[in-house]
Formats: sequence, structure tokens, C-alpha cells
Amino acid sequence: MPFEDIDRSVIGEEYDRFTYAPALASELIEYARSLGIDDPLYRDEQAAKSGPYGGLVAFPTFVVKLRGGTWLPPAVMKHMTRDGFDAGKDIEFGAPIRPGDVLTATSRITEIYEKTGRSGSMWFVVFRHEIRNDRGELVANVDSRLMQRSRAPGKEAS
Amino acid sequence: MRGSAPTFDGLEPGDELGPLTIDLGGAFVRDHAVAMNMNAGRFTSDAEAKAEGLPGQITPGNMSLGLLARALLGWLPQARLERIGTTFRGLALAGVPARIQAMVTEKSDAARRIECDFWMENEAGDRLVIGTATLRFPEPSS
Repeated sequence: MPFEDIDRSVIGEEYDRFTYAPALASELIEYARSLGIDDPLYRDEQAAKSGPYGGLVAFPTFVVKLRGGTWLPPAVMKHMTRDGFDAGKDIEFGAPIRPGDVLTATSRITEIYEKTGRSGSMWFVVFRHEIRNDRGELVANVDSRLMQRSRAPGKEAS
Repeated sequence: MRGSAPTFDGLEPGDELGPLTIDLGGAFVRDHAVAMNMNAGRFTSDAEAKAEGLPGQITPGNMSLGLLARALLGWLPQARLERIGTTFRGLALAGVPARIQAMVTEKSDAARRIECDFWMENEAGDRLVIGTATLRFPEPSS
């Protein structure tokens, strides 16, 4: 899909708002365990009570597990193919996630831009998940950058 | 570990943190991918990754990000991670050790913050992930 054909009107519009079930201590612990983290702040509810947060909290990058209900708006998703990939993330952290927190993620496309390199043309889409807890506190802004190679018409993967 | 870690006062721009070598074993990567509900074959199986045209099972970018944060907070456990930014430059293959290292690039005494550059590289020295982070240290107790 040529870069010029991508609908830019989606930039800035909220395309998804998703509220998660209350965070479970077990899922926060499981995330930390799966990264090989031993720190009791993230693994041990009892020991974490004497830590700086007064209780168990999620390891900060747990927020990347919160991908919302609709990953990308259909107007952009239809241009993504299997050779698109995750080019990077920028995360601003706010309040820590605690067991019982009810988190809501709102999603927006913030940028769509093109680059040309040795291997040809590629375009990038940047989308933000803004995650807040049920106290209205910002938990994180997660900006994800996806890269998609431009393809000639008729070459899109299914 | 917390007692022997570098303090804010002991850190200066140019200081190196690490390295930390992590064995990205296939089972470790698969276990994390499953915990993240990222069940695509490229993250869970060498054979399925190869069927997709990849050289083998790969580490999800989100896992590399988590491991980089783990390294930073492991080296600086008193600090709080305020921001992290990563660029995924190459495939982090499962079964290949990854080496993580960082360097302090800026320090603000007033805000008790440091900025770091960090990177993850393979055995050949290829930088697979690069990025920057901001960490804030608590006020010293009086």
C-alpha cells in the first residue's frame, strides 16, 4: 500500500477505550516472574508491605501487557502486513499499579510518517495507550512505533 | 543488593552500569510470551518461526524492553523508573545470550534524576536494542 493512500484523518482521534478487570496480585507477580525478576517488591505481597510502596506493585513495564480492546483502527490495520514489526516503544510512567486497580486505556494514533532507506520505502505509525487507574491517576503513556514496508499495489499479505 | 548498589551521590555522567548477561533460552522466551498472551509461533517455537521465514524463535520486543528495565532497576534499586524509550534494531534470537549495558549520560542534582543510554547486544556485538531512560532517586532521609 503506498504511503499516500493511508487515511491521516485518524491521527489524534480516540479509537479505543478499554477498561480492564481489577488487577490481580497473581498476574502482577506472574509478569515479574516471567522476566526473571526476584525483587520482593514485585514478587512477594508480604515482604512488599515494608517496601517503598507499602505493598506489592507491578513491575513498571507490566503496562505493555495492556494493549487495549482494539489494537489499531481499521483504517490503519488494513494496511499492515505480516512483515510489519514493532520498531520501538517510549513509556512515561506515573502511578504504580497495585492489586485491585481498575485500569482504563484510551488509544490514539499520534503520528504517521514515511522514511526511505537502502531497502526502500517504509512507513511508521505511532499510537499511544494512555492508561489511568480508577483514582484518575495517570499510570503510563505507552507510545508504540510500528514499521511497515511500503508495497506495490496487489502485494499486500492476507 | 540494595545496600551495595550505587547511590545517587556516587553516580556521575560517564559511569557505566553492568554488564548483565541474560540467557534468552527458548523456554524462558516462550514462558514470557505466553504470560503476555503473545502466542504467535515466532515467539514460542523455533520451527514455527522458521516457517515464517525467520532464522529462529525470536524474543518479543516487549520482553527485551522488560529485561532492559529489569537490568536498570537491578543496578539502581533505589531509583524509580520515570521514562524509558527503546528502538528495536535487530532480531533478538532465543537461545542466544544477550548482554545489557548502560551508561549515565546526564545528572540533575536538583531533581535527583539521571539519564542513561542503554543497549542490548548479542555475542557478535550487534546492538539489537538501544534506548534511553530517566530514573529518579528518592530524597535522602534526614
